[in-house]
Amino acid sequence: MIPNDDFAEEKLAAQLRRLLVSIEASRHAVLPASNDALLKSIVETAAKIFGAAAASLLLVNEEEEALEFKVAFGPGDHDLVGTKFPYDKGIAGYVFMTGQPIATSNVREDKRFDQEFAKSTGYIPNSILATPLISSDDRIIGVMEVLDKIDEAAFDMRDMELMALFAQQAALAIDQSQQTETITETLIHGLRRLADEDGNSAELSDALKNSLGGIVSFAEIMELADLFHDISQLGEAERRACLQVLRVFSEYRKSHSRRFR
Amino acid sequence: MTAEESLRPAWSQHFTPDAIKELSAAGPLAKITPSWAWGGSTGKGIRVAVVDSGVEYDHPALEGCVRGGVIIEYDSRAENNYRVKADPKPADLSGHGTACAGIIHSIAPEAEIYSVRVLGRNMAGRVIQFAAGLDWTIENNMQVVNLSLSTALEEFFGLFHDLTDQAYFKNINLISAVNNIPEPSYPSLFSSVISVAAHDGQDPFTYYYNPTPPVEFGAPGIDVNVAWNRKQYLTCTGNSFAAPHIAGITALIRAKHPDLTPFQIKTVLMACASNPRR
Repeated sequence: MIPNDDFAEEKLAAQLRRLLVSIEASRHAVLPASNDALLKSIVETAAKIFGAAAASLLLVNEEEEALEFKVAFGPGDHDLVGTKFPYDKGIAGYVFMTGQPIATSNVREDKRFDQEFAKSTGYIPNSILATPLISSDDRIIGVMEVLDKIDEAAFDMRDMELMALFAQQAALAIDQSQQTETITETLIHGLRRLADEDGNSAELSDALKNSLGGIVSFAEIMELADLFHDISQLGEAERRACLQVLRVFSEYRKSHSRRFR
Repeated sequence: MTAEESLRPAWSQHFTPDAIKELSAAGPLAKITPSWAWGGSTGKGIRVAVVDSGVEYDHPALEGCVRGGVIIEYDSRAENNYRVKADPKPADLSGHGTACAGIIHSIAPEAEIYSVRVLGRNMAGRVIQFAAGLDWTIENNMQVVNLSLSTALEEFFGLFHDLTDQAYFKNINLISAVNNIPEPSYPSLFSSVISVAAHDGQDPFTYYYNPTPPVEFGAPGIDVNVAWNRKQYLTCTGNSFAAPHIAGITALIRAKHPDLTPFQIKTVLMACASNPRR
């Protein structure tokens, strides 16, 4: 997500607060090595734990008001990734709207149940257990589904409750990972904008982009974000002083070819 | 606490066959029997609201029992952030509300069902819509309200506490499914509501009382055949499907004994549960 031009400092502050709450809730920060790898491992683990033939994970796509398949594991998985459902459609839509898990069976017999969609994937499940992914601040960020319990006709109440616990942890990890990605982008955008506002823009903002682009560590990003947040809370004079320091640093770097270690 | 213990299911474990406690119904309580409580009753004339995803009014399983409804929409520009729209021929967004209504109708065939649709695409308004829907049922003389929804948000504790007390004082029975996710949620854990979790039996009139609340009743909610939207049927599992069983039985009791108040109804329900020994 690229923040648009009506970017506000409050937005970054809100994202930071959210991230910190999430870290506090899960008692550790997730290193966002790769969001996709994280999602894939969550879905595969869910399938194993619950003895499911297939599993999938949908995340909220706010711009399109849809739930989008991010990972699918099992038969028919090749076509699913990227497929979108409106918020209020089907089993996943119900789970999204209410924040409540649901288990269904005899899906194959039910003519309503996304038959056309299921047929198009070449895979019609018999039983489904769908659970919301709820962030620590009670936003529903997606839906996880396990399909077709191996050796059983349906998922039971115990599966449902265990899956809810599993999904709780998964949601914290996904939320943090997503927000770290967003924060990095927002932070760079925010700093550039700060520089732009100062009038002396292009050069400084390029320099900022270059120096920030190389940051990989989560801790560094958090530290920078924290500082940026603090600075945004200070007065005009402090902000200008800070920009001055950055500008001096940027010029100094340009005049020295070696990178800082 | 070991990892194994911490993974124990939170609410439905009171109603597994091994866990159901045998109780005694002594003295006058022993004389309260299902046949006294609801024998011959059809729930005639009792107004039952289903606060949910809507109810498909013309689903064949409902046999025309839906008498009306409203849609609560989130609107950030409106006073209190919501709008109430009349919904004389309700539809159901997901199927879930129709499932609840179908269970109630199968138990109390002459109860009048009202659809209170509080779900929508706008997530920001989720809890506000839910609270407004509950408020509507209180202000519009509903007698039994099925709430297969709840919120875990601490900031709404006070609002729901107030609403459920208002309902209690106005003689309205709120039947609330406990969260399927093992964490506190409101209003299902308030004493002014009748909170219900699922057990795995199939007989609609077999339900259990749990003497160690907050969850007080266990009713069928596992692999239940239910009506679903677009005139279909589905087999579903969840505490959501347990609550309407108790809502239906409550409608039967109220139709037969119109003077009973919410705490008396709860006592009758406890006395007629399948686990007290007579």
